[in-house]
Amino acid sequence: MSFRSVFIAVVIAFALILSAFLINRARPKTETEQPGAEFVRASGKCAECHSRTQYSVVHEYEMSRHAQKSVSCLDCHQPAQGQEKKDHNGFVVTSGHLTAANCRRCHEDIYQQFARSRHAATSWAAIYGEKGLTPEQVSFSETYQPGGTKRPPHPFVTGEGAAAMASGCEQCHSIGKPNPDGTLGTCTACHTRHTSSVAIARLPTTCGQCHLGPDHSQIEIYEESKHGVMFAAQEKLLNLNAEPKDLTTRDMFVPACATCHMSGLNGVGVTHDPSERLSYFLANAVTEKRPNYAVAQAKMKQVCGQCHTASIVDPVYQRAEAVVQATNEKVTAAKAIVDGLRKEGVLTGPPFSNPIDFVYFDFWHYDGRTAKHGAFMGGADFVQWHGNYPMLRKTAELKQMADYLRRDHGGRK
Amino acid sequence: MAAENRAWWAEPWLWVEAFAIANLGFLTCDIYLAHSVNGFRRTAEYIPLFFSAIAPVILIGALLLRRRSRAAWTDLGYFVGGLSIVIGLTGVILHLDSAFFYERTIKSLTYSAPFAAPLAYTGLGFLIVMNRMVDQNSEEWAKWVLLFTLGGFVGNFVFSLTDHAVNGFFHPMEWIAVVASAVGVGFLITPLLMQVTRGFISLCAGLLLAEAAVGILGFALHAMANLHGPSTQAWKNFVYGAPPFAPLLFPNLMLLGMIGLWRLREFAGSGAE
Repeated sequence: MSFRSVFIAVVIAFALILSAFLINRARPKTETEQPGAEFVRASGKCAECHSRTQYSVVHEYEMSRHAQKSVSCLDCHQPAQGQEKKDHNGFVVTSGHLTAANCRRCHEDIYQQFARSRHAATSWAAIYGEKGLTPEQVSFSETYQPGGTKRPPHPFVTGEGAAAMASGCEQCHSIGKPNPDGTLGTCTACHTRHTSSVAIARLPTTCGQCHLGPDHSQIEIYEESKHGVMFAAQEKLLNLNAEPKDLTTRDMFVPACATCHMSGLNGVGVTHDPSERLSYFLANAVTEKRPNYAVAQAKMKQVCGQCHTASIVDPVYQRAEAVVQATNEKVTAAKAIVDGLRKEGVLTGPPFSNPIDFVYFDFWHYDGRTAKHGAFMGGADFVQWHGNYPMLRKTAELKQMADYLRRDHGGRK
Repeated sequence: MAAENRAWWAEPWLWVEAFAIANLGFLTCDIYLAHSVNGFRRTAEYIPLFFSAIAPVILIGALLLRRRSRAAWTDLGYFVGGLSIVIGLTGVILHLDSAFFYERTIKSLTYSAPFAAPLAYTGLGFLIVMNRMVDQNSEEWAKWVLLFTLGGFVGNFVFSLTDHAVNGFFHPMEWIAVVASAVGVGFLITPLLMQVTRGFISLCAGLLLAEAAVGILGFALHAMANLHGPSTQAWKNFVYGAPPFAPLLFPNLMLLGMIGLWRLREFAGSGAE
């Protein structure tokens, strides 16, 4: 045996081994630094199939912060506690849609904030009452949102039917839907599924998916407000992707909905309870102060104070509170008309069985709410032409309808 | 020793033919498992399955005809071998088309269908054709057999690197196959580059035995990993888990390499080259 043959064999073998190590070392950490072999596989194997079948899903994920931080498909899609499992091409994944249970494994604090909020059980109960919620979930929600969950289903559930609810109200109110795994809602309602995006959650249009229309016209009010106009003009200059804990007014020098209601601007604590900084129950027919009125208002004013002086902020609150007071008086008066008819036996039957029921409902549910929201959010047109003016007109209508009903009722006697 | 004077079991061409037939037949199972991962989504995935099932029958038939008609054995071999080469080369393109052509990155190469796997058909096709075109008593024949063995070890190197990369080399033992196949390549390429001694051929033979042991160890490790796989169904663990037959390529190539070394030994010098 010659030295030359052994030398050639050893050099070639070593060169191959070395190249294998170097190629493997060059692989991105997002693929290799995973908690288990199955997670490494998931970092590429899932995309190998799904980029052909659902390209956008893979593409959106690849652009996400999750991908940058080595969160693989399996991190989210592995079954969470209480979820059913299924075999999927060599992986064990959750059998249904992902829920908050999958997100809370890494974002527990955020889930707890969400669970205390009106986005959670309260949102669902606004349509279906306690149906589907466990007694523990009802009790937990009532602790933070009194009267929001322990309530009967909305009369529209029977009035409009299940199909209307499923494709209508439920599409938004399912943000707090009770899941079979024991959690509430899905974070993807705001953050979207595979982008898991902070930037998308910060967009006014994201909130505006549900906070729109005559009964909760926040997006329309925002767009009319100075905040909304400036956002539309300067959106491209904002840093919507800024890290939530590090967000400053340099990133968001014009506020979106989330900036005031949730973000941790300039060190103010981030919250996933959008009502944490709200001082009134504006959505109610007759608005009352929230139990944490003073603290909540102080928190919101602290956020306002990141851009405005108190001399600007305080008068806004004073004027808005005056609108709340005035609207309460108008709604109370309107309610007295309808209640009087029922008391006199003129108005009978279940709710929403007489035209006057709808006029009164529109009065507080559309016009009253719009006036109050407009006052707090800088939407003058909504305070006036979409709020107080229709209330004035409907007050006359209600009085006239009441007179006709009494006359008609007297005639029938 | 003249070919006509040998007993049947001492005919090198017959062992190569048997090797090719057995490998093509075994590929039926292997392809069935491999393309089950994809659920045979594309009709073309059935082509190698049917080819692997039918080709050995044709080759065995040709072998039985050889005494009466050597031309039939040759022509049928060319037919099967030619088809095998085409199927293998087409397979490489189709495998790369699964993802690699879109991105052309190491990642897409790692996670797409194993691009080099279909070359098993090409290698076997060339082996069948070579066995008919080259005199088995020549040094060239021995070197061709060694070249195909070397090709197999190059394949093993690429497979063990890319397949285990999918796993992130999470278990350090996954490097054994990479190192073993690299050593195999280094030692088998040398007789093709230079005249070697019988001593070196003996060293290569010993090394091939060690390679076979690595393959058997790999088979056991793959089987154990699959028995403890995440799925509740054992079949799915074998389909989607560690490829159970892949490590057996090591002992398989040991057999082919031994045939080549056996013949090459006759032409090797006994002293220093």
